[in-house]
Amino acid sequence: MVERIALHQTRLHTPGLSLDSKGVALGAKGLILLPSIDRLVMLLAAYTREHSLEHIVPSLAMNLLKSKLGTREITFEFAAESSDRMDRMAEIARLVGGIAFTGTSRHFVQYRDSTAPFGYDASHLVSTEAPYALYHERFSQTYDIERRIDLRTLLLRLMPRVDPSTKLEPGTRFLVTEQGLGPAAVQYLVRSRVEGDVCVAEWPEESALDDSPVRRWVMRIPQLPERMRQLVHTTPGITCFVPASPGVVVESGYRHPVELRACPVFDPAALVFLRGGGGDPWVIDRVAPMAPLSTFARFEMRTKGEDAAVAVRTTQAAITQVPVRVVPSNARWRDATATLIAPEELPLFRRLAYALPRAVVAKARIAMTTRGAFVRSEAGIESMPLGSFFVEIHPNFYLPAGYRVTPALAPDVVARAFGAPPSQVVFVGTDGQAWTVEERAFSTLESVLLEAPSWEPLAAQAIEQSLSEALIELKVVAVGPVPKLVDDAATKAGG
Amino acid sequence: METDVDAIALRLFQGVMAPLVLGGSLRPGRAIGTATARALGSVASMPPVDPETIARVQRARVRRARLLVPIDDLGPPSAAEWVLAGALHDLLQSMNPQLATFRRGAAGRLVALARRTVDSVGAPRSVRETVSRHAWFARLLEVTRTDTTVSWWSERRVFLGVDPPPRLQAWPGLRRVRVTRSSRRLLELAPLAIDRELAVDVLGRFLARTPLTDLATCTRTEPAFTWASATLALVATRAGRTIGMRALARLPDGEVDAALGRATRDALVKNRHAASPALELLAERAIAEALGHGGMAAGTPPTEEATFARGVGAAAALRILEGPESGWSADDRRKLRGILATWSVTNTGVAALANDERRRLLRILETRPETDGRER
Repeated sequence: MVERIALHQTRLHTPGLSLDSKGVALGAKGLILLPSIDRLVMLLAAYTREHSLEHIVPSLAMNLLKSKLGTREITFEFAAESSDRMDRMAEIARLVGGIAFTGTSRHFVQYRDSTAPFGYDASHLVSTEAPYALYHERFSQTYDIERRIDLRTLLLRLMPRVDPSTKLEPGTRFLVTEQGLGPAAVQYLVRSRVEGDVCVAEWPEESALDDSPVRRWVMRIPQLPERMRQLVHTTPGITCFVPASPGVVVESGYRHPVELRACPVFDPAALVFLRGGGGDPWVIDRVAPMAPLSTFARFEMRTKGEDAAVAVRTTQAAITQVPVRVVPSNARWRDATATLIAPEELPLFRRLAYALPRAVVAKARIAMTTRGAFVRSEAGIESMPLGSFFVEIHPNFYLPAGYRVTPALAPDVVARAFGAPPSQVVFVGTDGQAWTVEERAFSTLESVLLEAPSWEPLAAQAIEQSLSEALIELKVVAVGPVPKLVDDAATKAGG
Repeated sequence: METDVDAIALRLFQGVMAPLVLGGSLRPGRAIGTATARALGSVASMPPVDPETIARVQRARVRRARLLVPIDDLGPPSAAEWVLAGALHDLLQSMNPQLATFRRGAAGRLVALARRTVDSVGAPRSVRETVSRHAWFARLLEVTRTDTTVSWWSERRVFLGVDPPPRLQAWPGLRRVRVTRSSRRLLELAPLAIDRELAVDVLGRFLARTPLTDLATCTRTEPAFTWASATLALVATRAGRTIGMRALARLPDGEVDAALGRATRDALVKNRHAASPALELLAERAIAEALGHGGMAAGTPPTEEATFARGVGAAAALRILEGPESGWSADDRRKLRGILATWSVTNTGVAALANDERRRLLRILETRPETDGRER
């Protein structure tokens, strides 16, 4: 039987049991005793829901135990590491009906719970050669190992549950088709411009009646079009799989009871197809090199005629260049963003400047040339009713408003035909003549609009510090002769 | 001996009177004497100085006067002001360090002449004249002398009130020249050819001739403030008391109370009836403090004299409040009486005094003056 460990207790009876930094009794191993295999699956499912088995797998050992009474139980044994991991496992064990133990080699005592926050210690150890001696507050039992349980085998034997939602999950799909259906499926995917890879895998004969290995086409489709989902799920001979973990795929429409991403027991270089409906998993130990689907596109050979018609001679192609013409257009023009103000209109523009709104002045840019002033404004130039308007048909390429170019070419082709560098702004006149203005010649209108006002420098006059009072400094000056008191009194009397 | 009165007046104005108002170098010259000073009184007008200087001096005087009273014109120096300026001139020259070695007798004569000159001047005859004198001599105690010590690698020389020659300050780095300047106030000057107490006495007499200046500098260390007859006469009038209150309001309250308390106690001991204007002034200060206008600085324990001044003022204020001419409403009277009663001299102020002096003062205070609050 076990007894509770008291606070500050340091001496323990159970070999391999010690107190960690928190004072909790902890051995090198943790052990979960489960009554049946389904509880073990529940334990794995619950644990892998939020945690990975990556750190547990190296020390994991699952055994089917047999007691002296003949009862069989399952153990889930792992490296305890710390009381945090043990606490986590013990909580999940309680959830699935298991009991958590801790120990080092053979003797395992009950792990701590709410009634014994520092754990338990076995007061009397059982003398046994059995590999497991478990001490619980309600029982003490020894167990022999009947057989070991391999995690990978267990996962492969578990049948995926029906879960139609996996059919709608985005991502890569694996299609496995029977041999006769493979080429047709590949051609269908190629015709439909679906990207993917394909290989052919062989499995041993399924029965003694088969005289050749079973071949299936395996296709990996990174992006299966949504319209094909129904096809791959309902067509007999085609099985669709959804990746569950590197090296493992589960049939679409099913979900494995254990989160396979948390179980690093499958080789990423291999491929395991977990099938629903009780089918055996298909396993490819080494995936063959996969070829692009387009490789398998159907081709036909020309059966008639020569191998090739060889040219006798080559000549230069005839030049068909025609000049660009600018012709009036019947289409209603809009979005005029530039104007050319002729030199004779500049005085009028100066007067107009006083009436322009602030927003127009702020956005307009102007360049002065010998042809006049080119004014551009991305917000529209209609508020400046002067000059000839231009429409920008291509970046930095302007045509007169109400005109178009013939031949009818795309704007970028027309702009490219002029061959102006990007730093030049091209204005095409109504006569087809083009002018270019340097982009940097354009300045904001508000910065050039005002003439420099004349100003007269005024010198600030020093303000007398009338309120400050200077110190009174007594200077020593020669006294000179001092009147005698008598003389001064006489003078006073006389005065 | 210089006899041209106009020339002396010009020199006195430019050397003493104008700098005393405007600041700058104050340069007293040859001794003036009582007779000449009195003769200056006959000038009673502005000397022939450039108009700009006169305008600046008058503006500064008006500005000084307007700190206390709204006045626009103070006029030229009066006869008494010329005489007082001459006396001040001689007093300053009696403290000339050049006389301290071989001319101690001359210095003694000069201070005696200055005293005689001051005594020849009467008290101001009106508040306007008081303000005018104050406008001339308000900065009297601000006069300082700069003494310069020049030391170099081999020698050290002291220059009292004169600028050291530039040649002694040449090549400061090479000669390791070091110049130290220190400012000394008027009564801190040294060496003196005369007895220092004599100079303090003359200065006190001088201040007694310009009562507003006397009151406005009552917190000075020397000469200690006493209630001179001219000062009492000033605060005996309604206008003079108002101006005096304004002048005192520009000083630290605790120091003012201490100075007034000390002077009032002495005045009460000497002559109870003559000191009644001082009691009225203290009474008004106590009422003002009770109403929250000014008062002792918080956090500084009041001195014995300050407590006495407030207690005496409170007692006098209580008599005023109960008097028939009191203009206070019944509510105000009751409120003030409640505050002043706790300050009254019967509770606190005199308790700190010696028993015999306390009895004497209480007897004096209980004696009702014959002409309290008289106007002049």
